[in-house]
Amino acid sequence: MGMNWLAHLAARAEVPVFLAEGEAAPAEYAHLLARMPALRMVDTPRAAAILLVVGTVPKALLPQLHRLHDQLPHPRATILWQSRNDLSGAKRIDSAEDIGTAIKTLHSDLLAGNVESEPDILPDAPPNEWRGVGPHGQGGKGMMGGTPYGRPMAMTAADLRDGLELDTYTADFGPFLPMFPPGLVLKLTLQGDVIQTVAVTHPPFETTEDRGWVLLDLLGLPALAQRKLRGDATGKGSFDRLARLTAARAAIPDGLGRTHDGSDVRARFDHLMSRRDSALNLHLHHTGLDDLLVGLEWHEAMLVLNSFDTASLRTICGNTPEPETDDDADGEDDKKEGGMDHGAHAGHM
Amino acid sequence: MPTLIAIILIFVLSLGFTVALRAGATASVTYPQKRPILGGGDPETHAWQRFHVRYYTMTLLFVAFEMEMMFMYPWAVVFVEEGPKALAEMGMFLTILSVGILYGWREGIFRWE
Repeated sequence: MGMNWLAHLAARAEVPVFLAEGEAAPAEYAHLLARMPALRMVDTPRAAAILLVVGTVPKALLPQLHRLHDQLPHPRATILWQSRNDLSGAKRIDSAEDIGTAIKTLHSDLLAGNVESEPDILPDAPPNEWRGVGPHGQGGKGMMGGTPYGRPMAMTAADLRDGLELDTYTADFGPFLPMFPPGLVLKLTLQGDVIQTVAVTHPPFETTEDRGWVLLDLLGLPALAQRKLRGDATGKGSFDRLARLTAARAAIPDGLGRTHDGSDVRARFDHLMSRRDSALNLHLHHTGLDDLLVGLEWHEAMLVLNSFDTASLRTICGNTPEPETDDDADGEDDKKEGGMDHGAHAGHM
Repeated sequence: MPTLIAIILIFVLSLGFTVALRAGATASVTYPQKRPILGGGDPETHAWQRFHVRYYTMTLLFVAFEMEMMFMYPWAVVFVEEGPKALAEMGMFLTILSVGILYGWREGIFRWE
């Protein structure tokens, strides 16, 4: 009885939802979801109860979707919205009107125990077997060498910023990171928060969604970002004035993410905020992601990524050269798009 | 007596909460849940690595000013009794600290990066 009452109380709270966006997502879905007060979009699967798959995730990115699914804590459930994907136990919704109530009902059912929490898709085993040598899995020489669980220990590499040789970290980021354009998977090598190398594993999906609100969110203005996303009936003039008053533009470093035609993040931010329908005419024939991102810190890189519209970003991904395969020749699942070899351009800023 | 009761009560309550939390924890964490959250991506290198604490020069600056302030409060009382002698001593102390700040300046602690 007591648990029942608690479950009912919990079911009245906002539903924490993590969004996984696929191809051919319903038009203006982010705008629609932002207008539902009962939902709260969270930035990490660890804080979510419902995984909402919008559109169809292509076959190449299904392993990533499975990993994401398993990272939600119990009790959890999945909703496929206008999606042709197949996930065991997931609920399928096709019309935009039903989505809010469907999520709300599923969440309260989940909390009341009427719906079972979804089990893991991946096996409960380490991704690779233990192959360490020393007592802590290291190769035996300090903390260097060895491959515990199939992942080599971090080694030092030349630093781009101030010459301090520190450990590097290489990982695939995306495609469901909230600060990444949907579908984009980048293999980044980081030293601290400085990006050392960039390779495109999967280009972003083709959408016409406006990333302006993400830029505002990244600049630390979540309320203004929500306002832009919802498109509140405050009128164009008042939003422009608010955006100007916050001086968000000044928070973007001058000359950040300059393409070869001279436009930088500030210019593209201005264009996104002005709600002009005409696309910004960018000439991106020679600009690759390596020119734009290498040497930037993480927060700057995210501003650069979200300042482009999807079509431009896809062109830039196509211009990004494939990395030279050095000592580790096991880059098996890298299927890059386009790789026109333009070489690296010095001076990214 | 009230103190004793309070201590016992705190002890019993904390024990009670610990037991209740342990009983409430059900599923253990599985391997898929132990992965770092990269939006579905997978790491290639081990996460055990050295990281540069870039604010260490700032701590140098903090220590220089903080020690100065720490000694100045009791010194204010001594100054009333001793007069110019205490002033001269504090002057020497501040000079030594300023050398530290000048050294920090040369090392670039006023440059935010």
